[in-house]
Amino acid sequence: MIYPICYIVPPHILREIVKKGNNKQRAWALQTLTISEQFRGRREVVSLMPSVFAVAGEKRRTVYDAKSEYDLPGTLVRGEGDPSTGDVAVDEAYDGAGATYDLYKNVFDRNSIDDKGMRLDLTVHYGVNYDNAFWNGSQMVFGDGDGEIFQRFTKSIDVIGHELTHGVTDYEARLVYWDQPGALNEHMSDVFGSLVRQYVLKQTADQADWLIGEGLLTPNINGKALRSMKEPGTAYDDPLIGKDPQPAHMKDYMDVDYDNGGVHINSGIPNRAFYLTAIEIGGYVWEKAGQTWYIALRDRLRRKSNFQSAANITFDIAGDLFGSGSKEQEAVRKGWEGVGITVKKKKKK
Amino acid sequence: MKIHFERSGGLAGMRTVATLDTDSLPSDEARQIQAMVDNARFFDLPLKSPKPKKGADYFQYKLTVETEGRKHTVETNDATMQPALRPLIDFLVKKARK
Repeated sequence: MIYPICYIVPPHILREIVKKGNNKQRAWALQTLTISEQFRGRREVVSLMPSVFAVAGEKRRTVYDAKSEYDLPGTLVRGEGDPSTGDVAVDEAYDGAGATYDLYKNVFDRNSIDDKGMRLDLTVHYGVNYDNAFWNGSQMVFGDGDGEIFQRFTKSIDVIGHELTHGVTDYEARLVYWDQPGALNEHMSDVFGSLVRQYVLKQTADQADWLIGEGLLTPNINGKALRSMKEPGTAYDDPLIGKDPQPAHMKDYMDVDYDNGGVHINSGIPNRAFYLTAIEIGGYVWEKAGQTWYIALRDRLRRKSNFQSAANITFDIAGDLFGSGSKEQEAVRKGWEGVGITVKKKKKK
Repeated sequence: MKIHFERSGGLAGMRTVATLDTDSLPSDEARQIQAMVDNARFFDLPLKSPKPKKGADYFQYKLTVETEGRKHTVETNDATMQPALRPLIDFLVKKARK
C-alpha cells in the first residue's frame, strides 16, 4: 500500500483535533497522523506534542486491526482509556501491554519502552493464518495463528511482554540479533515476558510455570508451550512441529546458520541460568533476580555481549545490590555454573 | 518445477521446510504455483532482501525455484519481503504444515 505524502488536512490541524476533538474525531486524526509517522518510520508527531502525550507515568496504548492484511499498522480500534471492544485479540493486546507497562513502571521504575512514556502500538489480526508475533522496531504485531498448530498469539501474556521487551532492549543494551548477543536479546525478552505473567499472578519462583507461550499450541499438538526456561528442550515433541530444540547447557550450544544463528534456540542456556538463580533465591523473582537482570540490560550489557559477559555482569551487579559474597550473588554464580559458564570476577579499580 | 522452501526464526524459532515437485501435483495446483511464481517475478528478485536493522521474532524465508534449466534462490523476511512474493510464501507455509 502506498501512503499519500500530501495531506488534505495538514498536520497542525490534525494535532488540534487530537487535542480537542471528540473521541471519533480524535481516532480519525490520530489514525492519519500515525500512518504518516509509520511512513517516516519515526515518532516525530508524538515528540512534538508534549502537552498532550508526555504525561509522566501514564501508559498510552493504541491497538490496531490489520484485518488479515500485511500492511501496518492497520485500522485504529482501541485507544488508551477506551472500553473493551469485544474482539478478544484486541482486548488481550490492550491488557497485556498494560500489564507489561505496569511491571516496568512499578517494579523497575521505567516509564514505557523508552523510559519517556513512549506510546505502545500493537497490531492484531496480522496476515492470514499468521502463526507468529513480532516486534518491527516500532510496534508489536500479532497473528491469529493457523488454528491447527497455533492459536492467536495475544493469548499468552508473556508473549506480549516478550515483544515489548525487545523494544526496551533496543533502547538499552541494543543487543544485536544474531549469535550469542541475539540469544541474550531473546533471553531478556523471555525473562521479562515471564515476569509479567508472574507479577500479574503474584507467583513466587517455585509457583511459576516458567513457560513461554503456554497455551498457544492447540490441543492437537503434544506440547505445553513454545519454550521452558526451567527445562529447555521439553516444551513440545510432536510429529508436526518436531521436538523442542533448546539446549540447557553450553556443551549443547547449537552453532546453526538459520534463525540468525539460533537466537531462539540458544536462549535456552541463559534462560536456565536465570531460572536456577531465581529458584535458589526464592520469593518473588522480580525483586532480586529480576532487578539484577534489569540493571544488566539497562546499564551494563553491550551490543555484542556474549553469555560469558552476561554472567560476569550479573554476578557483579548482584554484588553491588546485595553485597559481595551474599547469597543472592552466590545464586547468580551457581545459576551460570549450572549451564556450564564460570563467572569471571571483575577486578575492582 | 521444483521448489525448496525453508522458514525459520519467528517467536517460536521453529524451522518449517517444504519440497515440492509440480509434476507430482494436481494440474490446477501446479498452474496456481506457476502463476504465483510469475506474478512475483521470482527470477528477477534479488538474492537477499535487506536484513531489517531493527525488529525481532520476524520469520526468515529461503526459497529455491528450479524450472526449465533456471534455478534461483531468494532469501527474505517478514519485514522486507516484496509484497508480490507473499501469496507464494503463504501457500508454501500451508503446504509445509501437512
